[in-house]
Amino acid sequence: MAVYKRNYRAYAGPATPMSWRWLAITRFGLGEVFASRNTVVLFVLCLVPPLLSAFLIYVVNSDTVRALLNLRGAPPLSINNRFFLGLLEVQGWLALFLTAWVGPSLISPDLTNNALPLYLSRPVSRARYLAGKLLTLALLLSAVTWAPLLLLVGVQAATAPGRWLAPNLFLVPGIFLGACIWIAVLSLLALAVSAWVRWRIVAIGLTLAVVFIPAGFGGVVSAVLRTKWGLLLNIPYVITRVWIQLLRVTISNTRINGELVNALDFPAAAAWTVLVAICALSMLLLNKRIQARQVVRG
Amino acid sequence: MAAIELDGLEVRLGGRPVLNGLRGALNGRAIGLLGPNGAGKSTLINTLLGFHTPLRGTARVFGLDIRQRSMEIRGLVGYMPETEAFIAGMSGIKFVRYMAELSGLPPEQAMERAHEAFFYVGLGEVRYRKLGTYSLGMKQLAKLAQAIVHGPKLLVLDEPTNGLDPLARQRMIQLIRDIRDAGDIRLLLSSHLLRDVDETCDEVLILKDGCVAAICNLEEERRSNRKFIEMETAGAAAAFTDAVRALGCECASFSNGRLKIVMPDKVEIRDLYTIAAAQGVQIRRMNHRRDSLEDIFLGAMNGNGAGAAHGRL
Amino acid sequence: MNDRIIFEDISKFYGDVLGVNHVTLSLPPGITSLVGPNGSGKTTLMNLMTGLIQPTRGHINVLGMTPADPAALFRVVGYCTQFDSFPRGVTGFEFIYEGLLLHGLGHTQAGQLTSEALHRVGLLEAAHRQVAGYSKGMRQKIRLAQALAHHPTVLVLDEPLNGLDPMARAEAMALFETLGRQGLHLVISSHILEEVDRISDRVVLMTNGYVVAEGNIHAVRQEVREQPMQILVRCSQPSLLASRVFALNHAVEAKLHADGKGLLVRTRNLDQFYELLNRSAAEGLVEIEAVAPADDDVNSIYQYLIGSEGGQS
Repeated sequence: MAVYKRNYRAYAGPATPMSWRWLAITRFGLGEVFASRNTVVLFVLCLVPPLLSAFLIYVVNSDTVRALLNLRGAPPLSINNRFFLGLLEVQGWLALFLTAWVGPSLISPDLTNNALPLYLSRPVSRARYLAGKLLTLALLLSAVTWAPLLLLVGVQAATAPGRWLAPNLFLVPGIFLGACIWIAVLSLLALAVSAWVRWRIVAIGLTLAVVFIPAGFGGVVSAVLRTKWGLLLNIPYVITRVWIQLLRVTISNTRINGELVNALDFPAAAAWTVLVAICALSMLLLNKRIQARQVVRG
Repeated sequence: MAAIELDGLEVRLGGRPVLNGLRGALNGRAIGLLGPNGAGKSTLINTLLGFHTPLRGTARVFGLDIRQRSMEIRGLVGYMPETEAFIAGMSGIKFVRYMAELSGLPPEQAMERAHEAFFYVGLGEVRYRKLGTYSLGMKQLAKLAQAIVHGPKLLVLDEPTNGLDPLARQRMIQLIRDIRDAGDIRLLLSSHLLRDVDETCDEVLILKDGCVAAICNLEEERRSNRKFIEMETAGAAAAFTDAVRALGCECASFSNGRLKIVMPDKVEIRDLYTIAAAQGVQIRRMNHRRDSLEDIFLGAMNGNGAGAAHGRL
Repeated sequence: MNDRIIFEDISKFYGDVLGVNHVTLSLPPGITSLVGPNGSGKTTLMNLMTGLIQPTRGHINVLGMTPADPAALFRVVGYCTQFDSFPRGVTGFEFIYEGLLLHGLGHTQAGQLTSEALHRVGLLEAAHRQVAGYSKGMRQKIRLAQALAHHPTVLVLDEPLNGLDPMARAEAMALFETLGRQGLHLVISSHILEEVDRISDRVVLMTNGYVVAEGNIHAVRQEVREQPMQILVRCSQPSLLASRVFALNHAVEAKLHADGKGLLVRTRNLDQFYELLNRSAAEGLVEIEAVAPADDDVNSIYQYLIGSEGGQS
């Protein structure tokens, strides 16, 4: 028989390697994200277009199905880079809405009740803290952007007649890189908003507003000054321009103010610059806000 | 090995110098950090934790330099901040588990230790509730739980009894003493309440205007206070104090029959009782001087050294 | 009756939530300390006293004035709350100055009183800095200054020493003592019982919205009759002393301390016990190291009436 006294005892067990500890932030972040049923529903909805596309690809490529449906002649739909560009755009929009929904709850709870010093008093630097949060969003968004799309490339490659993959191999890095750029921009933006805004509704609105309002403003600038540079403020346009370059889409027409404009007139370098600038600005805002101690001057 | 060594540490914040060349070595098991407002206590703690970079000089925690090995230091430290610090939407257990994993515990051990920590601090019943629903006392205990869950070598407590009612304060102090006595852990306790520091610490670092005003070993001070007596009497008049002085003691009397007496070596307490019996005075309270910390603190503030504790009433 | 603060069977409910219930008090001039756990109704009582809220039932009379006449009441009452909020962007000077203007004082007089109040708490140099940049102790002092600035006759202070370093605490306590002697009514709520014990004339203990005890601390102690008086004696031969104690029939219990050097005596007749003790010490029967009444202070009363055991009774 023994009487066990519950005293404080030091920890003498194994320790995880220091470089990987910050992954706990990602794990717990994802746990919190998927704890909400609404988020899970939204996430599943984001996967519906790729699912439908898979079905579509199968139908287009399968002679049997086409025979069954009495479709003669050449397939009506060509599964090429323009198809994937269109799908990327759709997933890009869905990613935006998913980010707006999920983003505000990532950093703001840590700042509201001053939990950040507790993080930073552990072997977690500010950079790693941010990396953990970014990875949460990145994993989430990857699952709705490049992951399903690359799978679809695989499906197409497998079911298409002839050798479709070899000449279209550039799609793989193109889709991956394009999606990553968009993920980076969205994540940094959402985290910056989450770090500065406390209320969830306001944060969601602000994330969407940051994308839409400058676009409207840019449209006004373009119309008034009769220039195409107003498009720089239109983030969806800018990212599409980048995707056009990465997926090597040759001709693309967009309607700006009712006039057809050849998108290739707009230099890709300008688009890249805008995206990099947005990322840099978000990082600056985050750097200002994620501090262990606020020093008040004066 | 000294727990904390300060080596000419200088820190500037917001353009103002806050710590001006701190120097010293702290070896005690529980180190108290005292000083008036604005002396730099919080800044010192923040600098040791790596939140501020020093302008000049450095400091070492368990021999690790804060400039170069800050990450390792933070792996050894548990921090209980003065202000509120929690994530409202998480349950207590989840929060402490999270913090434990960030400190390097594998997930299973983190879970075990989190539950242990909650039971140890006395929050066993409420550990599944969300932190946002906790009362102030419970939040303080939750802060303590997250500070000890990973078994740190140095526990930094900033005003741990802040806002606690008397019973909760006693429990907190008792917990702190138990942790201190469990061995292999050092404490750094910063507080405005001299009583808190007196009851838990054996060494004190006193800061003033960003400089070290004193480093004192309280154990030694307490041992050397043998001959200082405070007593409360009923029925004592001037005759009593005169008789005491006649023995060779110094004696000062205050309101409510309180007296403070310094006895020279040859006088014993029994002699005081003899005088009291002879004069019909009842000695109702008598103890050796306990406010040595107050003396040390006041001495440090007035610029005298630690030796001010002696020879002062 | 115009020199008392009177509560006549006051109850205050916030919807379903209880603030205070059936409180009857009559506070004379001097220092009254208000003591109790968090959530016991202290802040509610203070808000009622200063006219900030109206009771659900009952009457309040502060020095002959009621909250029905706010201009007169607020002019003589100063309130220092425990909450640390300030208007945004205000400097220390402006905070007090604008408050004084609200009392209807002219610009020059307000300016004078502001400088005086700032001087009293020692914040004259920092007066023109923003309050948001103050340390916690400075913010506490500015709130105190604001409560004192218009020379009130009733001072209601909710945890006024929170965040102050030991010297500032001593100064503040000295200030309160002076004001108390001048005939002001001071109502001070604090968790640091030893400090309020030292300066207050009477104590009001609250728990769960009820007043459990009020009056002079020693009188309160006498009235808690279920508990005989406890005295702790540290001496060389406690068992010997204990046997002497049992020879008298007023001792209820004598408990030997675990380390063999102390004796805890519970007795119904203090005087007789002290006679015995003093005689034994004078005869040299035992060597006394320390004598202390173990429960004649607020801390113990608190334990009895509010602590875990007392809470049930």
